[in-house]
Amino acid sequence: MTQLILFNVFNGLIVGAFYALMALGLSLILNLSGVINFAHGGFLAIGGYIAFTLMPFIGFWGGLIVAPVLTAILGIVVERFLIRRLYGRDPLYSLLLTFGLAFIFEDGTRFIWGAQSLPFQVPGWLVTPLSTDYFFLTGYRLFMVLVVASAVIGLFVILGYTRLGIRIRAGTLDLETVSVLGVNVRVLRSMNFGLGVYLAGLAGVLAVGQLGLQPTIGSSLIMPSFVAIIVGGLGSLPGTLLGGLLIGVASGLTTVFFPSASEAVIYVMMAVVLLVRPRGLLGEEGRF
Amino acid sequence: MTAALIAEGLHTYYGKSHILHGVSLEAGEGQVTALLGRNGAGKTTTLRSLMGLTAPREGRVTIFGTATTGWPPFRVAALGVGYVPEGRKIFPNLSVEENLMVPLERPGPWTIASIYDLFPRLAERRFNRGRQLSGGEQEMLSIGRALLLNPKLLILDEPSQGLAPLIVREVFRIVAKMRAEGISVLLVEQNVRMSLEVADHAYVLDDGHVVYSGPADELAADEARVQSLAGASAEEWTPQS
Repeated sequence: MTQLILFNVFNGLIVGAFYALMALGLSLILNLSGVINFAHGGFLAIGGYIAFTLMPFIGFWGGLIVAPVLTAILGIVVERFLIRRLYGRDPLYSLLLTFGLAFIFEDGTRFIWGAQSLPFQVPGWLVTPLSTDYFFLTGYRLFMVLVVASAVIGLFVILGYTRLGIRIRAGTLDLETVSVLGVNVRVLRSMNFGLGVYLAGLAGVLAVGQLGLQPTIGSSLIMPSFVAIIVGGLGSLPGTLLGGLLIGVASGLTTVFFPSASEAVIYVMMAVVLLVRPRGLLGEEGRF
Repeated sequence: MTAALIAEGLHTYYGKSHILHGVSLEAGEGQVTALLGRNGAGKTTTLRSLMGLTAPREGRVTIFGTATTGWPPFRVAALGVGYVPEGRKIFPNLSVEENLMVPLERPGPWTIASIYDLFPRLAERRFNRGRQLSGGEQEMLSIGRALLLNPKLLILDEPSQGLAPLIVREVFRIVAKMRAEGISVLLVEQNVRMSLEVADHAYVLDDGHVVYSGPADELAADEARVQSLAGASAEEWTPQS
């Protein structure tokens, strides 16, 4: 029983780490630009497919490094030519745009790579279980947690200690004043969008190593990521991280006792948080 | 006299309400220009129009000889225009040091270290968040932040608003210091007497029109006019010692 619970908690932690990685990117974009990026799951899928396509040439490790960067570049192009036009308008416009983009990305991947799911080979030594008792502790799963953790730490270092990150945080509350101080806020928003999409691309490469490639991989992760943001609190990145991990573990634990509710439980959590503490666990009051 | 900034016939609207009705003014190079007037006269709107924050519907803005009409604020600022907004607009979630890291790094004499020399109080509070600062400290931070752009023109919107008399004096001391260093200053103020004391030229704005333009000492000598301007202000003015 302990083993079963541990298995599911660990599973939940991994899923939660994905939610958190997705949700952090979504939060970055939402906080600075007020855009609810429904295409985020599409970027995740594209990250995975790019890695798959490049793997024969540059291997798994090359793909892990290059694919998220290429995904981020695609994100910057999309921001520059499509999303930028809708800043300052009702958020509904950008929501509709990104919602449409999500469909385009999904069908685009289906068109290019096919609808059937494709295998994604990770290095053999990463897949072997580390222990026979705890068979679920494969190297790849630990590796995923490690990569997600370093990405999150890297993100917080950028936001805390670089001028780019400090300007992003400043712009989250008052973009007009950032602009008046001579900072090119168009470039700032592009970089920020690219940063958010980079995280989605990275999550994509890691996810396809675990789940295999399928065009719908992004859309299955996007709703829980929004839930993570709401549970953690709008406007708070630590909150988003916490929210992602919490709903992941909660969903994992529910699998042990009441498997059919494992998907519903995150929405129940969201409802409870909204009733008890509408701004979310770590959200600032009056932010939205 | 050459002008650091020239505004010609600005008409600015907020939605449908017509705020500025053809405002024209010049800020002389190396001079302090005061823009005075009662609450709601359009002073802040004039500054916002100059910075590109609220684009004027008609009229032209020229800064250091470059036509900047229709430019976004960051391009105007990058020309070397430091702006200290009304209400100071400190980033409350950032520390003092982080607030000072936001501005564009234009080359010049001002660095974070030299801002700390100018305002030692900020150095003491460098790790405090913006929201933890007093009004005076926030004002120093807002001025310091604008100076980090190494501006050739400094635009201040009511820097003395809501500050204790001693700090108001400090703010005006800094305005005079900037002038001495050759920076042009455009100053919007409710504190009429102290403004006229540091200013070279003054404009009075009323209901979106320029109703007076002349040397500051000339306006200062017109006691009746000063009285009506100072009396109309919501702020207490500080008597001269």
